[in-house]
Amino acid sequence: MRVPLSWLSEFVELKATPEEIAEILTLSGHEVEEIFDPYERLGEIITVKVLEVSAPEELRESCLCKVSDGKEVFTVLTTAKDQITVGQVLAFAKPGSLTFNHLRIDYKTVKGYRSEGCLLSPFEAGISPEKNRLLILDERVEVGRSLYEVLGIKEPVLEIAITPNRGDLLSIYGIARELHLITGWELKPLLIEEKKEAHFTFPGKIVIEDEERCYRYAGRLIKGVKVEESPFFILKRLFLCGQRPINNIVDITNYVLLELGQPLHAFDWHKIRGGEILVRRAKKGERLLFLDGREVELHPEDLVIADRERPLVLAGILGGEESAVEEHTGDVFLESAWFNSKSIRLSTQRHRITTESSYRFERKIDPEGVLLALKRATQLIGEHLCFQAISEIVDVYPKPYEAPSIYISLKQIRKLLGFEVALEKVENILQRLGEVRTKGEIYEVKPPSFRQDLTLPEDIVEEIARLYGYEQIPMTFPKAELFSSKPRPDLLFSKKIKEIFRSFGFFEVITYSFINPESLSKLNLNPQDRRLKAIALDNPISSALSIMRTTLLPGLLETARFNLHREVDNLRIFEVGKIFYPAEGLAEERETLGFLLMGRKGEALWDGKEAKHDLFDLKGILEELALILRVPLKFKPFSKEPFLKTGLSFDIYLEDQKIGFAGAMKKIIVEEFELKEPLWIAELDLDALLVCYLKTQTTLTPRKPPKFPSTFRDISCILDKFIYYETIRDFLFQLQIPYLERVEIVALYEGEPIPQGKKSISLRFWYRAEDRTLKDEEVEKIHEEVAKRLFEHFRAKPR
Amino acid sequence: MQREELQRIKEEALKELETLKDPIQLENFRVKFLGKKGKITQALRGLKELSLEERRELGSELNQLKEYLEFEIEKKRREILLSEEEKILDLDLTLPGRRPFLGGLHPLTQVIEEVCEVFTRLGFEIVTGPEIESEYYNFTALNIPEWHPARDMQATFYLQNGALLRTHTSPIQIRTMLERKPPLRIIAPGKVYRCDADVRHSPMFHQIEGLMVDGEVSFADLKGVLAYFAREIFGEKTKLRFRPSYFPFTEPSLEMDIGCVMCEGKGCRVCGQTGWIEILGAGMVHPEVFKAVNYDITQWQGFAFGLGIERITMLKYGIDDIRLFFDNHLYFLESFK
Ligand SMILES: [Zn+2]
Repeated sequence: MRVPLSWLSEFVELKATPEEIAEILTLSGHEVEEIFDPYERLGEIITVKVLEVSAPEELRESCLCKVSDGKEVFTVLTTAKDQITVGQVLAFAKPGSLTFNHLRIDYKTVKGYRSEGCLLSPFEAGISPEKNRLLILDERVEVGRSLYEVLGIKEPVLEIAITPNRGDLLSIYGIARELHLITGWELKPLLIEEKKEAHFTFPGKIVIEDEERCYRYAGRLIKGVKVEESPFFILKRLFLCGQRPINNIVDITNYVLLELGQPLHAFDWHKIRGGEILVRRAKKGERLLFLDGREVELHPEDLVIADRERPLVLAGILGGEESAVEEHTGDVFLESAWFNSKSIRLSTQRHRITTESSYRFERKIDPEGVLLALKRATQLIGEHLCFQAISEIVDVYPKPYEAPSIYISLKQIRKLLGFEVALEKVENILQRLGEVRTKGEIYEVKPPSFRQDLTLPEDIVEEIARLYGYEQIPMTFPKAELFSSKPRPDLLFSKKIKEIFRSFGFFEVITYSFINPESLSKLNLNPQDRRLKAIALDNPISSALSIMRTTLLPGLLETARFNLHREVDNLRIFEVGKIFYPAEGLAEERETLGFLLMGRKGEALWDGKEAKHDLFDLKGILEELALILRVPLKFKPFSKEPFLKTGLSFDIYLEDQKIGFAGAMKKIIVEEFELKEPLWIAELDLDALLVCYLKTQTTLTPRKPPKFPSTFRDISCILDKFIYYETIRDFLFQLQIPYLERVEIVALYEGEPIPQGKKSISLRFWYRAEDRTLKDEEVEKIHEEVAKRLFEHFRAKPR
Repeated sequence: MQREELQRIKEEALKELETLKDPIQLENFRVKFLGKKGKITQALRGLKELSLEERRELGSELNQLKEYLEFEIEKKRREILLSEEEKILDLDLTLPGRRPFLGGLHPLTQVIEEVCEVFTRLGFEIVTGPEIESEYYNFTALNIPEWHPARDMQATFYLQNGALLRTHTSPIQIRTMLERKPPLRIIAPGKVYRCDADVRHSPMFHQIEGLMVDGEVSFADLKGVLAYFAREIFGEKTKLRFRPSYFPFTEPSLEMDIGCVMCEGKGCRVCGQTGWIEILGAGMVHPEVFKAVNYDITQWQGFAFGLGIERITMLKYGIDDIRLFFDNHLYFLESFK
């Protein structure tokens, strides 16, 4: 809401500076976002001196001037040929600036002469109604300065954010009334007396057919109006409030709307067939062409103002093209009404239209202000326009507004506010708010008709707190029973995962939950893949953020790309967040972990010892994770994920359930994301992991330092290269070798002199007894047996 | 073996002992005197030839010398070894070290942790809720019916399945209250979504919702708790200001401002020249909200608050572009290590 202080001061005595007024309003809940001067926003309008005037013949009425701002010289054309002399100081608008009645100044060329701006009249500059002369300043005035600064014109305007509950503040008068309530500054009453005999009888008929949607409808006819440009003071105020002028009648309706908050609508009376004004619901199939050129099909829930044949206006929202007041209109019907805010809101949502009018109706107007606005408009027409006659007001108001009674006690007020607010203070505030009656301990408050936001005792408490001053209310600490609940395991788990990855040298990233369908399609997924069936947004910001992610990969890959394009080649990142699948009810949300490794591991150091991430870095991270969490993750080669290199990937299993995958991205996908190989990536379902984690948390068995020494024996053998290490390990495990503590793989070698298709492997067996030092012979005996079985089973040869 | 000879060995040994400078000399010295063929060892062997009397006398003297030399050798060895490593080597110690390179949590995660920690200290429990929500939980139950103009305050993303992306963490209030009975103290962090994108707005951002419901908890208590929170996060000396505001789900409602952290209240671009920066909205739970969750409004009252994590993080660290959080550039992330 824009509030020019010059206009505001007509209604309330302003006893403070603009900044102080802004602070008062802000601290009362009406945040003043800025104080600005609309004149300063017109652009570069400066003082210039005329250096040279010439009148080439082909320009006829116009002349060509050279003007200077003290630094630069501009050429400008003007029609005020006879007023111009060298040495004058004039008002010059540079291209790109605006006149106060919204005309844009541009370069223009007339008959080959180029004009670099415009010399302004007092009217164009927004200073006085004079249009037919140039604005000529004192010759001693400095050139090159802002015109308004030179003239000392200051029009501070407050930009106020009005909360949606306070429709009563969407007007200059509303703000004046509020300032009066807060500060006690004197409010000038608004009373407009009309003489009944001065008005002729209204010749038409007004019928409200839907009393649920229209509570009050008033109007009058003005005959013989001359439709033209508005008087200067109206234009100026519309300009200060950022409104574009249309014509005097429309401007007056807008003026009253700004001043009093009551939307008015003006009809061309002769377009209302039969003089019948019907307030009714739209009929199926009815259409309406709006003033802005849009045509809509009306909905049977929409309220319209119609004549006996067709709808003319979408009630309270926007007028139709056909019945609009234009140049040739002679007789005008003025409407002032009170519509149901809910119904207006639903119609504006349905048709996606918001106007100054609907904005106010949605936020509730003052039912008792309907006639006042009509009278105010009439007064302005009477004082400033040419017209012939004005009819009486017809006011259809079937059920007059009744303010609710709100009952509240001092005890209630004190309990909610939490301090002993003084009785006199409360009563004083209640008196200022509305009608108050006391019934024993209970106050009955009837708020004025413009305060429809006040309906509950809590609303009254807020008013008391607000007028008492939020700042004055003490700060206390709640008195409550001491209780505490266990932290939620899932939250602790996610936190733990993040901490683990941090300790692994990963940086956490947070990417958007909505992704680009194109990133998903780059993953080469099978058309049946569940991940392609993502939930789509109805109204995405852009197609790049248009579906809910079903995997964290696109976010990680896009992040890697963003980094790689900005000097980061080596990356270890992870994300913990939700992925979303369609499901019964709202959606299935699964907490998921994804991570990515790119480039070198660790920092490059001067010692030249650096290495790229490889498969065993990836696997090691997952193994360590499983170890820390004490969950039996299994890594099964090879993953079927179509975006992973099969030979460098595995699926991650928890018992029989696949809960993730890890591996190297296929080259072509890496290239499509403009990344560099090798690129390692993994994703795990944390919800599934959590279930297992919670079960295994009781299985911790602390190890003690050894009491007796261990001893080891190695076996080096050559065997078939396709025998997996895991197969060997599983075989050894099922042998149930006595005293065997663990087996380590200490060397693995392929190539000369090992024959083709074979590999050499060295295993180290650690033996230990709990209760004694094992004797060499004992170990030897066991180990020989192990070696024998191993060689036999795998047809291995000793190395 | 004569006494004179012993005397000579002794003098020789003591004299030589003084000159020893490195472990090799020391070892040679040990071999020379105490080794298998060393002079003292030889001399001890030579004692056999002497009379019992002499043997005893010289023997004890030789053994004393042997012990003395052993002691001195050990002492000398320690001295040499210790002093040897007091030399400066030709290694450039100003070269950078090999860091164990820990990673880092996202700054938003860190601030969420920090805020949650402040409230868990006051006995608030952390809860969460779904990010894909229904109209009912996101709006209707919070006293924002379909026709309410307050819906304009939050540009909503709708989904093609009819649900929506929650525009605030407030639906968690409703879900928690429907699940439990008062008294209640919860804090609910999470992602929220609004159809908005520029330097100050991200279509996805994070909020923390707080709710306390008890028999007597009041507006003054709300002020007290919020002031405690602000000072824990922004420092003891943070200036605070409370302003009336409007949220459909609280009444009375307030907004809390802190003294601008950039200009310390003098007025700057960040605070729009006012010296104050809004950091959260709050209020007493609206009776309509209690009705929606079947709480007896004569028995319970409470407060709720909601704050934007990005905003707080931006203020805390002087960040001017919200998009930095979601670009996730390593340089940015590393600075919060
Ligand atoms: Zn500032």
